Amino acid sequence: MAKGFYTDTTVCIGCKACQVACHQWNELPAADGGRTELSGNSYDNTERLSAVNWRHVKFIEQITEDRSSSGFLQGSRWLMMSDVCKHCVRAGCLEVCPTGAIIRTEFDTVFIQQDVCNGCRACVSACPFGVVDIGHDGKAHKCTLCYDRLQQGREPACAQACPTESIRFGEVTDLLQLAEQRVAQLKGENVDAYIYGKEEIVGGLNSFYLLVDKPEVYGLPSNPELPSHNVDTAFELSGLAAAAIAVTGLAAFRKGRMDEMARAEGND
Amino acid sequence: MWTTNPGSGVALPPQWGWYVILYFFLGGMAGGLMSISAGLELVGDPRDRNALRIVQRLAFPLIIVCAVLLTIDLGTPTRFWHMVFKSERFPSLILKPWSPISLGVWILTIYGSVAFVEYFFPGRIQNRAWTILKGLAGFALAGYTGVLVAGTSNAAWHNARLMGALFLLSGMSTAYALLMLLLPATESTQRKLSDGDFWAVILEGLVLAVMLIGLGSLGRVFWTGWLFGVVFWIGVVGLGLVAPLARHWIAFDPRRAAVCTLAGGLLLRFVIVMSPQFPRVALWHL
Repeated sequence: MAKGFYTDTTVCIGCKACQVACHQWNELPAADGGRTELSGNSYDNTERLSAVNWRHVKFIEQITEDRSSSGFLQGSRWLMMSDVCKHCVRAGCLEVCPTGAIIRTEFDTVFIQQDVCNGCRACVSACPFGVVDIGHDGKAHKCTLCYDRLQQGREPACAQACPTESIRFGEVTDLLQLAEQRVAQLKGENVDAYIYGKEEIVGGLNSFYLLVDKPEVYGLPSNPELPSHNVDTAFELSGLAAAAIAVTGLAAFRKGRMDEMARAEGND
Repeated sequence: MWTTNPGSGVALPPQWGWYVILYFFLGGMAGGLMSISAGLELVGDPRDRNALRIVQRLAFPLIIVCAVLLTIDLGTPTRFWHMVFKSERFPSLILKPWSPISLGVWILTIYGSVAFVEYFFPGRIQNRAWTILKGLAGFALAGYTGVLVAGTSNAAWHNARLMGALFLLSGMSTAYALLMLLLPATESTQRKLSDGDFWAVILEGLVLAVMLIGLGSLGRVFWTGWLFGVVFWIGVVGLGLVAPLARHWIAFDPRRAAVCTLAGGLLLRFVIVMSPQFPRVALWHL
């Protein structure tokens, strides 16, 4: 049975306990040698998922443009979301990896074997969510969904640390049921909530989200495609180009030979 | 409603730099050379032997340079062999035909083997099947690099379904140009190469135009901006397409035109590879 995360963004409080727990358990180093640099983007100073940040809490401030009204900030809101590898059912990174370093585990999660990866970076450009990154060791890194903890029957560090149960861990089918119930509850309260990561998103995401705004607002693609989506067509068009250039080339060479023969006969 | 930036959640640049740009350029040229030599063997005449000899001498060193560029571009170069063998079950081979990079490794291996035989045992194998294998290996090497680019999640690259065709045709035109540069001007083969090159450049221009029109606003990244715009219009279009075509109608030294084609081919790879990654990847990134 597939294991995964259900992240209910409506109860995330942006405490970053998940980021800290992930760093601690996986012994991830600090970025830039621990140099603190403020991004100027709300409370988000790690900015994205990377080789050393396998969890990333996004802070999205939505402020009304009308600042003159007496009700300034009414209608404004602060969205928070703990982002992570989606452990896609059809994973682009796994699909392209030429070394077999990226595998699907017995928990249906996507895992990078560090002793096999050679840092070719194909997975970096293949991931439509910008999850995989190359570390200073020259190898690709991302969330393992705490594979070592799962093997011991424990839940991932981030889910265990989350104080509001925004991050839930479990069987994906169970989590989806839970999420559907939550969506129904929120809709009853006139909140336009939905699940991001059902089957229409690259075959389904084993780490999926409950969102209350468009995916782009959270920095997620609304219609991500697998990198292989256009590969067959690209190969076929290359074949056509090869045929065209072969015909024109052979015709040019043949004409050249005929011209030479005609010239030689003329000289005779 | 005013919304702050949620941070990246879309495809990251693969950090391709000059090793990859040079590989795409030299690999395309090497592929083109092999296919041209196969064509000359099929319908050429004995006077083309100097051109064939140049290809026999060049193809293998070129593919070695390509392999070196690809290896040093890896994050862990000592593990380059993981691309060919299953590291945990050596010597089992690994091939994922649906992955352009995995398929490309085998295209390189087959091309390298053909080039090796041609370099160390020139003329030893002479039959139609071998010639056709050479032609196909050349086309595959020149074209797959473009498919590799299209097989990414970056929107501009991903939607450029004609990228493989473009790289293949550009590889052919640069190979024609290199051969015309290296052959003595008096060789009768020059005329054949010149005619072949004419069609390669015409087709390349056509495919480039159709690709950019098809990409719409996504394609702007390749041909706008102060840097990439100038390089695209002057380098890729001016040097790479207009100059080699112009010599067919106006008095323009064919060798200079060939140099222009080579420069245009290199700059095409530069623009295609760098523009969607810039500024996250520096222009001088290796």
